[in-house]
Amino acid sequence: MTTDESYIERIGNTRRKRFTKHLLLCLASIVMLYPLLWLVSSSVKPTEIVFKDLSLWPAEWDFSNYTEGWTALEFPFDLYLVNSVVIVVLSILGNLLSCSLAAYAFARLNFRGRKLFFALTLGTMMLPGHVLLVPQYIVFAKLGWLNTYFPLIVPNFLATSAFYIFLMVQFIRSLPRELDEAARIDGAGTFRIFWSVILPLCKPAFATTAIFTFISTWNEFFSPLLYLTEQELYTVPLALRQFIDSEGQSQWGQMFAMSFVSLAPVIGFFIAGQKYLVKGIATTGLK
Amino acid sequence: MISRRDMLRTAGLTGLGLAVAACGRGFGGGGSEAASGKIELNMVWWGDAFRAQKTQAALDLFMKANPGITIKTEYQDSGPYKDKLATRFAAGNPPDLMMMRMDSLREYADRKSLLNLNDHPGIVDTANLSPAALNLSKVGDAVFGIPSGLNAIGFIVNKTITDQYGVAIPDGNTWSWQDLAKFAKEVTDKSGKKVYGTLVDAATLANLVVYTSQQGEDLFTPDGKFGVSEATLTAWFQMFEDMRKEGGFPPAGFVETIGSSPDQSYIAKGSVASQIIPTNGFLGYNKAAGGNLVLLGIPGEATAKRRGTNIGTPALWSIAASSKHPKEALQLLNFLINDVEANKAMGTTRGVPASTVVADAIKPTLEKDDQVATDYLIGLQKQTLVPVPPYPKGASGIQDELTAVAPEVEHGRLTPAEAAKKVIDAATKALSQ
Amino acid sequence: MTLAPVKHPAVSEAPVSPPKAAKPPQDRSGYLFILPWFLGMAFTIIPFFASLFLAFTDYNLLNVPNWIGLENFAEMFSDDTWWQSVKVTFVYTFVSVPLSLAAALGVAMLLNRGVRGLPVYRAIFYLPSLLGGSVALVLLWRYIFGLNGIVNAFLGFFGIEKIGWTSDPDFALTTLIILHIWTFGSPMVIFLAGLKQIPAMYYEAAAIDGATKWQQFRKITLPLLSPIIFFNLIQSLISSFQTFTQGFIFSGGKGGPANSTMFYNLYLYKQGFEQFHMGYASAMAWMLLIIIAAFTGLNFLLAKRWVHYDN
Repeated sequence: MTTDESYIERIGNTRRKRFTKHLLLCLASIVMLYPLLWLVSSSVKPTEIVFKDLSLWPAEWDFSNYTEGWTALEFPFDLYLVNSVVIVVLSILGNLLSCSLAAYAFARLNFRGRKLFFALTLGTMMLPGHVLLVPQYIVFAKLGWLNTYFPLIVPNFLATSAFYIFLMVQFIRSLPRELDEAARIDGAGTFRIFWSVILPLCKPAFATTAIFTFISTWNEFFSPLLYLTEQELYTVPLALRQFIDSEGQSQWGQMFAMSFVSLAPVIGFFIAGQKYLVKGIATTGLK
Repeated sequence: MISRRDMLRTAGLTGLGLAVAACGRGFGGGGSEAASGKIELNMVWWGDAFRAQKTQAALDLFMKANPGITIKTEYQDSGPYKDKLATRFAAGNPPDLMMMRMDSLREYADRKSLLNLNDHPGIVDTANLSPAALNLSKVGDAVFGIPSGLNAIGFIVNKTITDQYGVAIPDGNTWSWQDLAKFAKEVTDKSGKKVYGTLVDAATLANLVVYTSQQGEDLFTPDGKFGVSEATLTAWFQMFEDMRKEGGFPPAGFVETIGSSPDQSYIAKGSVASQIIPTNGFLGYNKAAGGNLVLLGIPGEATAKRRGTNIGTPALWSIAASSKHPKEALQLLNFLINDVEANKAMGTTRGVPASTVVADAIKPTLEKDDQVATDYLIGLQKQTLVPVPPYPKGASGIQDELTAVAPEVEHGRLTPAEAAKKVIDAATKALSQ
Repeated sequence: MTLAPVKHPAVSEAPVSPPKAAKPPQDRSGYLFILPWFLGMAFTIIPFFASLFLAFTDYNLLNVPNWIGLENFAEMFSDDTWWQSVKVTFVYTFVSVPLSLAAALGVAMLLNRGVRGLPVYRAIFYLPSLLGGSVALVLLWRYIFGLNGIVNAFLGFFGIEKIGWTSDPDFALTTLIILHIWTFGSPMVIFLAGLKQIPAMYYEAAAIDGATKWQQFRKITLPLLSPIIFFNLIQSLISSFQTFTQGFIFSGGKGGPANSTMFYNLYLYKQGFEQFHMGYASAMAWMLLIIIAAFTGLNFLLAKRWVHYDN
């Protein structure tokens, strides 16, 4: 490593390596990007030729699917977007608050019944949702919550998503326990440790939870379908499904256009949120 | 530290802001039935936004004529329709008026969940319904709804393709299954396998029903057992395998499982020259396939033992037995069936109107392709057909088994005889439960 | 914030699953933290146990259920389609879960090592997961995996005959497995988040000690990432056993061709909502819960050997 040649060789090697790496990543990216490109391309083709012209680059760009699709349903599409955003934002808030509280308790606190409760939580994750539909519907109907957003939002404030609880439990348990103990020695109480020590270090888990909640709530189809009855309350996935039906004259082009529109917030949220994914312990004060 | 608080605060404020913006929407409130003093009916169906507009136009006419009644509608695509309906029934919150799938009719009717129209005589006028149409909603002596529209299966041929390759289209009233095989082979051969002559889905029960009836067998015996013989089922599968071997039928693996709309069909793509469709889809198929389709009868109608084609319906309009407003729901049902203006507004998206008077009256207002399909149906109702006995409970299990075995025959993993035996075993088991 | 220094993970080896006999005494405030969870039981635990009750009945959605004991469970063992659905689901799970997790971890590590343009790649790789159950995607699959689709066109270059990716019973499940692996973005995002939790100083220290990349991976990455690997494993297992939407969309809810994509949950759904055998469907659900719980429990036991929590 002392001569110039080996130094140059080493640089060359690194460059070559880096080049191969990027080449591989780029190739993989094409496979991953393909669906989006296809969706965009299909959204600017008239419905008549969507299934005939399969080229990725449309012969001509026709944006009428966007303008017509926006107003094709009972309400303009922005209403459905706003409805979805309201549900999504509140669901994220609910999940972050309630699941982090529960997860901290399950991961760090020692109380009677903890293991049983945690096992129950995991258990609810293992049972297929279809058999829960009817009993859940009955509960919500008894509460008088049909045709409101409550069945879609309130459960998120009550730590019903086992997935996020489990995710945060695992994250918290991967944090060094010395942090808690140091804080405890400094006189911090349980809640203070949770709020000032654990939470700041859980940003990646928070970001993951927020992103996953966004996506799953944004795409959720069946619950809104079941609980919302008025068009005015409908969410984006319900709206999208109204463009097509096997017995109707499906407006595929408009459906593609509005699908792309509805993807934009998700992609935007992911890009905005992903910087928090990296703000973990590695970049905070722990040196 | 700051960023976390900021994040929470921003998120909180945004949420609050939007919630306020969307206030009144989705967070309770809203006028209830009592507040408005009107009777509110809940009506559900499946379909797309296009059908919704047409249906809403008809309902507006009803509400104008009946100011004391408002109708709240819900619609969605046919996929998850049955889950939602079942859940609502199970939770004791069924809609008043609903589209009822034929294969679910007995499940609901036998469990006393649907209103028997005979218990409320004099509201729904069925005088103009043909016996074939009326028969569809009968279970024993009880009547659990009215067909929302009539249809049948028909054979479509793409004339552009047959003209291109110089193949004559057989007479749709007199052709036999052998004629179909001959025609299909000719198309395939003359096009150099660019286009396959025909495609009939062996796994669709509606197709099988016609064939079995032609052989003199009923799908279900009067006591609710499976009535198709092993020989007939074997012949059914064998017929298509023979056509496949000769070339008139596409090779194994050609038909893909994804998508079933007219736009995605093989006839629209131009890779097959003919296929069976439900007649109310004729307009859609013709649009998708270039506008030069010919509608023929099913092969074998004139040559087999007896008629096989029957009149069916995509769905009934039924009323929940526990409806709080049965009178008004029946009134609405009567309106949908017998009002000419309402049916002009709705068109034939659900099939040809069950009332022959209404069907005749709206025909001139339809698009040309819908007129063709309507004529076909009106013609059928004047003929003597063999009615299909009502589907007993568990009948959907038969369709499942057909769907499961047909690809196995196609791929040579089961012989037609083995497949036939499997279907009969499964059907016997499904119907005995 | 200043915090006490952390011990090197190799030193503090305390591979304990549930932090048993944790030093802090009973902490009642735990109940306060899970108070929302307690209230949420109304929406989770009540339906949960309602379905358990229904598993022993002939519930048909429309009539009052009758108690029939273990009949539903016995029925499963003589139900060919049930066995088929078990087979499909097991094959799918045990092929796609390891493959997609390996892909997710591999790409996450590749991206974690300071690749320029990380956010762009991360977003791109996550994209297929974003598209999830989009209706539009069904058509895309057909376009990609159709008989004349691009996959067959590509294979055609190598002289491989057309494959019925969606129509041949021998290939349909393979297609779904490929589609599953394609969405490795979700576990990847979680891995990336986990990797960022590992203090960089460990690697610096190891590099100074002359540890190779492989040694660093074995001694630092694996143990410190193990709780996250464990999470992803459990989560993927559970969700893969419960696969529904993909199978439903792929076969139009039929599980075809020839039941080759009849997933457990798809069959359950058909029994419950098409045949109105909700009692049977509930029993099937609880049977699946037992199967999943067995695998999860096994993993929790095995976890004691390889998952490292810092206690």
